Amino acid sequence: MRAVLDVRNLTTRFSTPTGALVAVNDVSFSLREREILGLVGESGSGKSVTLRSLIRLLPSIASQSGEVIWQGHDILKMSPKEVRAVRGGQISMIFQEPTTALNPVLPIGLQIDENLRAHTTLSHRERLNRARELMDLVGIPEAARRLAEYPHQFSGGMKQRAMIAIALASNPRLLLADEPTTALDVTIQDQILKLILDLRDELAMSVIFVTHDLGVVAATCDRMAVMYAGRIVETGTIADVFARPMHAYTRGLLGSVPRVGTERSPLMSIEGTPPGLSSIPRGCAFHPRCDFATNVCRVSQPVTETVEPEHDVACHNSLAVLEAGSPVQ
Amino acid sequence: MSIALYRTASLPRPLIFGGAILAASLLLAIFPSVFAPYDPNAFDYAALLQGPSTAHLMGTDNFGRDVLSRVIHAYTIDMQIAVFATVFPFLIGTVIGALVGYVGGISETIFGRIVDAVITFPFLVLVIAIVSILGPGLLNMYIAVGVVGWVFYARIIAAEVKVQKRLDYADAGRAMGYTHMRIIFRHLLPNAITPAVVYWMTDMALAILLGSSLGYLGLGAQPPAAEWGVQIADGKNFMATAWWISVFPGLAIVLTGLGFSLTGDGLAEVLRTKK
Amino acid sequence: MSDVVISAAGLRKSFPLPHGLIDRISGKVPLAVHALNDVSFTLHRGETLGIVGESGCGKSTLARCLVRLHELDQGEIHFEGTDVASLSGPARRAFNRRVQMIFQDPYSSLNPRMTVRVILTEALSVHAMRPAVEIPARIAELLDLVRLPQDSADRYPHEFSGGQRQRIGIARALAVEPEILVADELVSALDVSVQAQVVNLLLDLQQRLDLTVLFVAHDLRLVRHISHRVAVMYLGKIVEIGPTEALFAASQHPYTRALLAAAPELDPSKRSRKIAAKGELPSPIHPPKGCLFNTRCPHAFDRCYAERPQLTDRSVGHQAACHLTNFDPKDSLK
Repeated sequence: MRAVLDVRNLTTRFSTPTGALVAVNDVSFSLREREILGLVGESGSGKSVTLRSLIRLLPSIASQSGEVIWQGHDILKMSPKEVRAVRGGQISMIFQEPTTALNPVLPIGLQIDENLRAHTTLSHRERLNRARELMDLVGIPEAARRLAEYPHQFSGGMKQRAMIAIALASNPRLLLADEPTTALDVTIQDQILKLILDLRDELAMSVIFVTHDLGVVAATCDRMAVMYAGRIVETGTIADVFARPMHAYTRGLLGSVPRVGTERSPLMSIEGTPPGLSSIPRGCAFHPRCDFATNVCRVSQPVTETVEPEHDVACHNSLAVLEAGSPVQ
Repeated sequence: MSIALYRTASLPRPLIFGGAILAASLLLAIFPSVFAPYDPNAFDYAALLQGPSTAHLMGTDNFGRDVLSRVIHAYTIDMQIAVFATVFPFLIGTVIGALVGYVGGISETIFGRIVDAVITFPFLVLVIAIVSILGPGLLNMYIAVGVVGWVFYARIIAAEVKVQKRLDYADAGRAMGYTHMRIIFRHLLPNAITPAVVYWMTDMALAILLGSSLGYLGLGAQPPAAEWGVQIADGKNFMATAWWISVFPGLAIVLTGLGFSLTGDGLAEVLRTKK
Repeated sequence: MSDVVISAAGLRKSFPLPHGLIDRISGKVPLAVHALNDVSFTLHRGETLGIVGESGCGKSTLARCLVRLHELDQGEIHFEGTDVASLSGPARRAFNRRVQMIFQDPYSSLNPRMTVRVILTEALSVHAMRPAVEIPARIAELLDLVRLPQDSADRYPHEFSGGQRQRIGIARALAVEPEILVADELVSALDVSVQAQVVNLLLDLQQRLDLTVLFVAHDLRLVRHISHRVAVMYLGKIVEIGPTEALFAASQHPYTRALLAAAPELDPSKRSRKIAAKGELPSPIHPPKGCLFNTRCPHAFDRCYAERPQLTDRSVGHQAACHLTNFDPKDSLK
């Protein structure tokens, strides 16, 4: 399958009064048509900044380098006007907090209409029909009535659906989802995840799904990329990474999640806490917390290697990790 | 009541400047005779209404008194006004505000009405009214300011305590079985007091202005005491010919006020809760 | 193990919504959020009882009522046979010492102006746990117990990470040597890798200190991992309660089954496109008549709209509140 998005050596820095912080460090991945890629990591891993970097949705203190090739064009080289056309047009984004991402003083219908006006040439009447269609598509009942309602009249799950409707208004080819279900209850999360899967099939979109929840990844994504301290440490298909993790961090994350059959026994935890951006350790950033760390990990940053087909890892001791086996099997 | 001062790499600049001004002011207030070149109340009929010169850096007034010496001696009274006109409102307001904020309910409603009553009157008019009843003089001025001033502190503290009360650490205190008084004064208040302390600094500057205004009107410090407001009033008839009589005390007010305001700004930064 | 330490019967708690003058004049009925609707359960010495449910199910309210941060509208909580609501003065302080709560938010649950030493000293001295001279040694012991470095004592909460702050919260609770810990969403604000550390710590402490734990959480996987028994709450009511094994392997309430189906598993091969539970949580201001789950239940029939089912025995120690019985364990929703 063809890659729709190709990210090469993407680096995002924030200049702060105390010096430059590297939030995204030399990140490369590609995304295929109709694929859902999970971008997994803990707080401060750079997963959300990576997502935002793709469409240059960053504060002014950020500077970027590398390439983000979208349909043959490098988004990082586009003029602001061209970026705006892509953003919200071919590439849409949904956020973690639908409450703050929706404008509280505008009815939902108007917010959908706004996006339709910006990215389509439909007439007023056609836009109204399209808005109703979109509401149906995302599973909001009584579309005609609810278009006139304001965000506060929607429940959390319905707000997230409304936000998806707005994002879909422009017929995007790629949906960027930044922890869209983290703020939701588990039964509502389940509905939204399945909605995203259905929409991917119906609209033939690609999706990049940022999350910290490995369960959500297992239930939704086709491939996954694990991030730690601003770098992608492991990439592969869901089945491969879950069955044969090759990075100690991935393995530790999988072991940190309680699973059936190990009740009331200690979990395989990772000692310590994820590092802050200003204090990323030398060598492999994970080495202070790593059970597999050897001397080389303290001094040299591992390069990303393709160890198995479609399974890349940046770890000096990937074979030892592989041998130790997956905690979820 | 303990305010933890966090170790910071360097103190904020406003605090350094403000603190320096206040330290100098305090020094002058405590030891005025050391710094004043003349007796502030000594008449010198040989040197009436003289402009600034090397003998009299700030000139002399219509009784031949040295303006510089009077400005320096006025520090004693004006710094006293700054402290005494505000410290009681601060203490009373803090305690009442903390209780009102914590207890809420009916006490809050009653307090709200008191606030409404106080803020609908101009502060100065209210104080003048009370002083006119009690009679002029510094002590009565402190009483008048205290009767009204605590409300402003209480309002700030009550609002802040109400916010802090909702945080889990307050509940944690209750779940630990701590008494209400311990929770209010040991836990909530240290976290709620910063805005009141900052306001206190501004209020001290305002108190000097108020003291001077009352002095000017003849309701505060009584002549011949050296007090900036009194001095400005003394010079008002000579504005066109001997500006220095009023202008230098005025500058002293501005400088001291600046000292308090800068200190307030700096304290706000230092006392800010780290998250 | 079967020694009952806390028994709760018929707990009800509602929070009135603002009812202004204009509402009163226009004759509006005062509204209230019904957080607890007739909750009863027992807690046995040495066990971990997990309380699981989605937002608005009343699990946090229940936790707070247990340590008397909220007063009940109706019902009674008995601690070792004594009605908790009747306690006052020293007896109440003693109760507060023996039943401790740990809070969800590692950022707001510690006083930002107190060092760890001050926080722990306060707990130790208010309850006179140790004479003043022994306090420093006890603080060192407590830090050791929750695996914080000794130099933590003189630092402020903002100098710690979320996981470390939760350890401080645990140390504060343990300082007064409680018998029961009520943990409200103890790890839900933490990163996955840090969650595991805190869960391991809790399991270890429970064993070493012989603690009884009420573990309140929304994460089914966590509750399952940690608890001996689990109670599932929905709209302020326990809909199913039982031994962890039985409850997860053969759940007897459609809501429990929906929760189980909706919780994403760590197994990519067990994917399903079927939605676990349709619809959304009804408003806790106007809970449905009859069974609380009837608006979302795939099995609802006439009786469910007319009569609210009560908890009935399904197997040993396993109760569910559903008019239907005999759910086939193999007939999973997946």
